[in-house]
Amino acid sequence: MSKDWKKIAKASGMGISEEGLDRIAQTLDGLEQNFRPLVRTLQPETDPAPVFRAAPEDAA
Amino acid sequence: MTLLEAASALRRGEVSSAELTAAALAAIERLNPATNAMQLVVADAARAEAHTADGELARGAGRGPLHGIPVAFKDLFWTKGVRTTAGSKIFAAYVPEYDATVVARLRSAGAVLIGKTGMHELAYGITSSNPHFGAVRNPWDRDRIPGGSSGGSGAAVAAGMAFMAMGSDTGGSIRIPASFCGVVGLKPTYGRVSRYGAMPLGFSLDHVGPLTRSVRDAGAVLNAIAGYDPQDGSSSRRPVENYVPDMEPSIRGLRIGLPENFYFERLDPEVNAAVRRALGTAESHGGEIVPLRVPDIHAINTVARTILLGEASAALEPHLEKRDQFGADVLALLDQGRLLPAPDYINAQRLRRVMQREFAALWTRVDCLFTPTTPTTAPRIGETTTTIAGENEDVRLAATRLVRGINLLGLPAVSIPYGSDRRGLPIGLQIIGPPFAEALILRVAQALVPAEVPVPQL
Repeated sequence: MSKDWKKIAKASGMGISEEGLDRIAQTLDGLEQNFRPLVRTLQPETDPAPVFRAAPEDAA
Repeated sequence: MTLLEAASALRRGEVSSAELTAAALAAIERLNPATNAMQLVVADAARAEAHTADGELARGAGRGPLHGIPVAFKDLFWTKGVRTTAGSKIFAAYVPEYDATVVARLRSAGAVLIGKTGMHELAYGITSSNPHFGAVRNPWDRDRIPGGSSGGSGAAVAAGMAFMAMGSDTGGSIRIPASFCGVVGLKPTYGRVSRYGAMPLGFSLDHVGPLTRSVRDAGAVLNAIAGYDPQDGSSSRRPVENYVPDMEPSIRGLRIGLPENFYFERLDPEVNAAVRRALGTAESHGGEIVPLRVPDIHAINTVARTILLGEASAALEPHLEKRDQFGADVLALLDQGRLLPAPDYINAQRLRRVMQREFAALWTRVDCLFTPTTPTTAPRIGETTTTIAGENEDVRLAATRLVRGINLLGLPAVSIPYGSDRRGLPIGLQIIGPPFAEALILRVAQALVPAEVPVPQL
């Protein structure tokens, strides 16, 4: 599902110029294209880490 | 002269801190107009600190190898009583009341603060062409960028204005300028060095580390700054170790991973050749080269970008209404982050867990990985696209392509200069290790590079 970034930006009243919107929409579309398939691979039991640790056993 | 050589000379009484500081200030006066590496110089305070250090050294009250050594900090580290702008108009008049932990630790080790280095606005970019404070220029070719966002730190160290300049790295911002400026840049493991008092960009991606003219110098600085800090919630309680490698360390029997995918796929041929020469040198020193496939770095970079977009916009949320105070490139990134839905950020953090697990499996097969730091040498100032192996690529995405993912994984990595291209521009080699293996990657780096990196003729 592609997103209409320009509409979302306008609705949130961010004050971005038309030219800026074009650039942002293009970049976010590109990111979305790469990111969405990754999200589909997530298993329900995978939690996000509230404080990231480089090694799991390193909890302070 | 390297930091540790200067420290030895200080201990032997062959030079004073006042002389080292005067030489650094003279270098700044001579070279800063051409490079803009230093954004703020605190000459009087530095002379006073050097005088104090000389007195302490004369009384036999030496505090270790950094005592009396002139150093600089990227202008996003809080320095008590000294303006800290983060390269931003928003913080142009901000004077912190505290030192960042790394500043405090280096001060307590006796280092002399000579000033603050220029940077990409808010550390959110890789050119260091700052719209408010001017472009930092590469000492090897002043028409080229030094990289970023710690571009002033890279340029200052390369040009001999400081023995060490502290940098920060959220998506390559220590290693990219190290690569483009021909110096050593160390990004420690996430949690190894406190982030307290470093203006945040990506809370879970920001790392703090030194840029130096030798590998051993980077280890000496890490010795002074590593260790638990209760003021940083992500700080690790793991014990620190001695990070300074021997002058001629052995790497015999070490398993060095050579990625078969991603890292060598789209490179300037001279960069490719230099990294493969480094692998040959490592092998001749007894290292075992292990070709292997690495997890999907493109996916890892995608997740890192998603997290950074969300975290940076969150960090700067209180200022986002002042749109005219931001440079165009930074504002565009901040706007993108504001549009990112919350579930995307959370799912990116979940994917990070999976990717961390996948990547960790590599360390059963190899002790470290060799990759290029950047796919090209330094681009020209103002260039927005670059052609690599016949393909056009955005300069920012190209410069971060081989380094950004390592921030997501929190792994230690060092960039060392390894040869130069036909124009004489430095090429960077990246050595990546498992979590908290800083001593190991510095040992490997020391085995490969000369005692001091080449110096540009300015």
